[in-house]
Formats: sequence, structure tokens, C-alpha cells
Amino acid sequence: MIQVKNVTKKYGNFLAVNDISFEVKDNEIVGFLGPNGAGKSTTMNMITGYIEPTSGRILVNGKEISKEPNKVKKQIGYMPENIPLYQDLTVREFINYMADLKFVKRKEKKEQVEKVLEQTGLIDVQKRTIKKLSRGYKQRVSLAGALIGNPEVLILDEPTVGLDPKQITEIRALIKKLGKKHTVILSSHILSEVSQICEKVIIINKGNILAVDTPEHLEEEFKEENSIHITVEDKENKIENVCEKIKELKSIKLLKENPDNTKQYALIANSNVDLRKEVFDIFPKNNISILELKKTEVTLEDAFLKLINEKELKEKKEKEEKEKSKREEELNNMTKEERKQAIKQDKKDKKEEFNKKWEENRKKEKEFKEEMKQQKKKEKINKKTSKKENKKGGKK
Amino acid sequence: MLAIIKKEFKSYFLSPIGYIYIGIFLLMCSIFFYLDIFTYMSTDFTYMFGSASTVLTFIVPLITMRMFSEERKNGTEQLLLTSPRSVTSIVLGKFIAAALVVLISIVATLIYFAILCYFGNPQVGKSLVALLGFGLLSLAYVSFGMFASSITENQIIAAVISIAFFMLSWFLPGFSSSFVNFSLMDAFYMSFINGAISIQNLVLLLSFTILFIIFTIMVIQRRKSVK
Repeated sequence: MIQVKNVTKKYGNFLAVNDISFEVKDNEIVGFLGPNGAGKSTTMNMITGYIEPTSGRILVNGKEISKEPNKVKKQIGYMPENIPLYQDLTVREFINYMADLKFVKRKEKKEQVEKVLEQTGLIDVQKRTIKKLSRGYKQRVSLAGALIGNPEVLILDEPTVGLDPKQITEIRALIKKLGKKHTVILSSHILSEVSQICEKVIIINKGNILAVDTPEHLEEEFKEENSIHITVEDKENKIENVCEKIKELKSIKLLKENPDNTKQYALIANSNVDLRKEVFDIFPKNNISILELKKTEVTLEDAFLKLINEKELKEKKEKEEKEKSKREEELNNMTKEERKQAIKQDKKDKKEEFNKKWEENRKKEKEFKEEMKQQKKKEKINKKTSKKENKKGGKK
Repeated sequence: MLAIIKKEFKSYFLSPIGYIYIGIFLLMCSIFFYLDIFTYMSTDFTYMFGSASTVLTFIVPLITMRMFSEERKNGTEQLLLTSPRSVTSIVLGKFIAAALVVLISIVATLIYFAILCYFGNPQVGKSLVALLGFGLLSLAYVSFGMFASSITENQIIAAVISIAFFMLSWFLPGFSSSFVNFSLMDAFYMSFINGAISIQNLVLLLSFTILFIIFTIMVIQRRKSVK
């Protein structure tokens, strides 16, 4: 359905999207995930033909958008990020206009507008001016504008931002329903949303695609260890002895001692072993009562953070190494005396830096000490006054 | 294109701009009608246009400044440019809608002509030629105003650019006669207002209009790859 091939977008020197390629099949709901400024909106804008890629090709249904823009645009319904709307029009007028823009035939127009209004729950406000609607309703109007004309591809840029929880669930359900008949691409930085709605996730950061997979796969892949959290009441402190009896258990860690004499442990097992049944069997037999037992799960959130952090760490290391090698090269290119001076300068810089830090630390220490002194003084005064009062009280 | 014309034309009258434009224009025309024709007991309808053309300089930008700037600022240009409409039809649609508003106000000046006809015997041919010239001049102004609006997202800047350009074209021939052949205002003043259709000036006004429509299309088209 949609093929993105080696697409790059540059804004001047800034690389917004860096050589990305992916594919979206018919009737698939795909989620674009990424932090702010990752290139989500830019990619979507390129698919809809609002901006042109610096290089690369985008095919929708086998047709290239740069070559047959009007045919391709007819198949796409786009809901832009900042919900741009004609504020002076009423809801119905706006949707009528969008229908006209998309060449909806006159005979079908009324029926389609009616259908879209109903789908997005706008029937009650259809005669109100868009200016006067609340943000949630505006969002729905924007969605309705994307839906009209029954396009095969829906591209929704952050469709649920700024909605209240009830509206969010409504819109999500609507998108899921639409996904049965349309191909949907949506972007979001809310991970739970993506894992709920989408069949496929594309994680993107700083213009690069980090992963393309189903949410379940991603979660699986980033599972660190197979562990369960357990809260027990263990009066005789036998838990460690008991645990030695369980073969698959690798280690046990005390997480927290609760005030009501219960303790929380993490039991870590070899991978692919489910400990829960055994734990349930053995613990009560040894007078350890289980209050809570929970399998720890890796969420999409963890996977996402890990992916992004890994990438950043790598980049940081590379950068540092580059700087080092650069400096060395510079040193190599100098004459002996220059080199000596440069090294001296380096040492000086380092010393100065160190001195600065040291002085700062001393300052902080001083401040801290003074504070302590003042506190002590205050305490003394307090004690004195309280003693005096006590004496007075005693005399009386 | 019809859909765009319809919507644009309607939106001029959803906001007060359309009414304000026509109101100011007719008000000024009335004043000039009184000062230039009534007080001299003349029946020459063209006198009014001589003064009214200076008013155009300041009020046409009122209409044109919002054409693309507003869409760009509100982001609604995204809706237009991702719809299956070509840039040419979008620009032409907007131009025609704005031109309609201007032309309506010009047609309304026929009321004054009717008054003249009732009280005297004005020259019909000369008056109509002046009317035609005035219409062409305002189309050229709308075209440039639209271009100014397409290059900035700030409406005020768009208006200032247009007014500055119109005033230049008005006053430059006063500094050097070499500008006479390129001045829009002079093209109108030199021939149409005297009841003569000169091919040279007709071509100047029309080609200027078309040129800046094409420039606007190019600006919008180009922004796709730069943006």
C-alpha cells in the first residue's frame, strides 16, 4: 500500500529524516513512535505530499506522489498535527468544503457528510462555528475532515493529544474500527496508546528508524530477565532456606521491608521458566504466607527508552572518540615546541577546571557548615528559653 | 476550482473585511463624486475614477493581505495543499474570489453613473472605457497583493509590501520619465481615463496581472521543497 524508500529530508544543514525506508500493508494500523522532534510529522507531511523529500521515493498504491500528486492525494485523508481549521466556518460548512476539495460527487456528498458527522459524534454541534468549539470537538472536526471522501489511507498526526480520557477512548475505538477498512498511520508519543491500537510500531528518533515490529515482539525482545515480585509474611525468616529447594531459581533479592512485618522479594529465574506455580506450592507448606505475587513485565515504554538510550550512548562515545583522535592528529601535525606548548596548555586548562570545581566544593562546604552553626545556635537558644520556662513553671 | 472560489468569496463576507472594503470604497467614491463632479456641475463620470484610483492603493491590500498569509499562519494551507487540487487551481480560485469582491464594488459605482444620466447627458463610451481601465487596474493590484501575501505569513507585512509597491508605481514616473511606460497608475491615467484604449497599456495591465499570478503559483510550488 504505502512504500517509503530511502527518504531523506534536510532543512538547510539540519537532517530531519535520514534515509528511512518502510512499508505499510493494506488495512494495517501502524504507529509512529518517537520523542518530540524525531521526524514523525515530517515523514507524515512527506507521505501526504505537503512537503517534498530531499531525496528518495514514496509510493502509495504503486503511484509516486511527486509524479501523480492529485491521484495520490485523493486516496489520502490527512489530519495534521495542529488541527488547522477554518475558524469562521460552521462544522457542516467545513466538512462540505473538504468534501468539495476532495471531489466528492454531488449525489453522494450529503450522505457522506452525514455519515462522517455521525462517526465522529459531531451531529449536535454541526451548526456551530468552529471558532467556538472546545479543543476536543475541534480535533473531531479535523478527523472528520480527514475521513470525508472515504480515502483508503488515513494519516493521523497525534490524534488524541489534548482530549479528555473519555474522548480518548472514543477516538481510539473509532480508529480501531476504521483500521478494518482503511490503512491507518498514526503518530503518538503515548506508548500505551500505540500498543493498544496498532498492529505495527515504527520507532523513530532523530530522523532514524530504530525498530519496526509488532508491540508484542518489541516487549519480548527487551525483556531483561525472568523475574517475579513477591510479598510475603515470613515470621521464622525461612525464606532463603526454602528458596534453595527450588532448582530453577537463580537468585533472590530483598526489595523492601514493609512496616507491617511483610517483606517484598524479587525472585529471578532462568529464562523461560514460570516459577509461580512452584512458589505457590512450596511457600505455604513452610509457613510463609504469600500476600502478593506478580510477574514483572516489560512494557513498550521500557523497550522504547532502551532503544533510544542505546543509540544516544553510542553516539556520545563515538563523538568523544572522534574528538580524541582529532586532538591527537592536531598534536602530531605540530612541531616539537608547539606540541610542548599545546600539552602545557592542556594541562593548564585541566588544572584550572579542577581548581574551579574544588573551590566550588569548598564554598558549598562552608555554606553548609555555617548553616549547621546557625542551626545549633538556634537550638541552644530554644533550649535555654524552654529551660527558663520550665524553671518558671516549677517555681509557680 | 469552483469550490475554492465559492468558499473564498463567502469567507470575505463571513468576516467584516468584504463589507469594510466595499463600504470604504463606495464612501470614498461618494466623496469624490461630490467634490470632482457635483461641485463643478460636470457630467464627466471619469473625473471620479481619477481620484478613486489613489484610494485603491490603500484598500486593495485590505483584501489581498490575508489570502495566503492567514492560511499559512493558521496551518490551513496544509489542508489545501494535501487535497487533490493543483496549486494552479488554488491560486486561481483565490484570485478570482478576491477579484469578484473588487469588481462588485466597481459595478456598484454605476449607481453614480445612473444619477448622472438622470440629470444630464454623460458620454457613455468614455465612461465605460474608464470603468474598464479601472477594473483592469484593480485586477493588477489584486494580483500583486496576492503575490505579496504568498511570500510572508504576516498579514501586516503583506499589506505594507503591497502599499509600498503601489506607491512606488504611482510616484516613480514623477522622478524620471523612463518609468512612465512601466507604471500601473500611469497606464490607467494616460489612456483609459480619457476614453482611449491603448494596446500598450492594456497589455501592460493584463500581462502584469498574469505575471504575478504565475509568480504566486511558483512561490507556493517552491515552498513545498524548501519547507
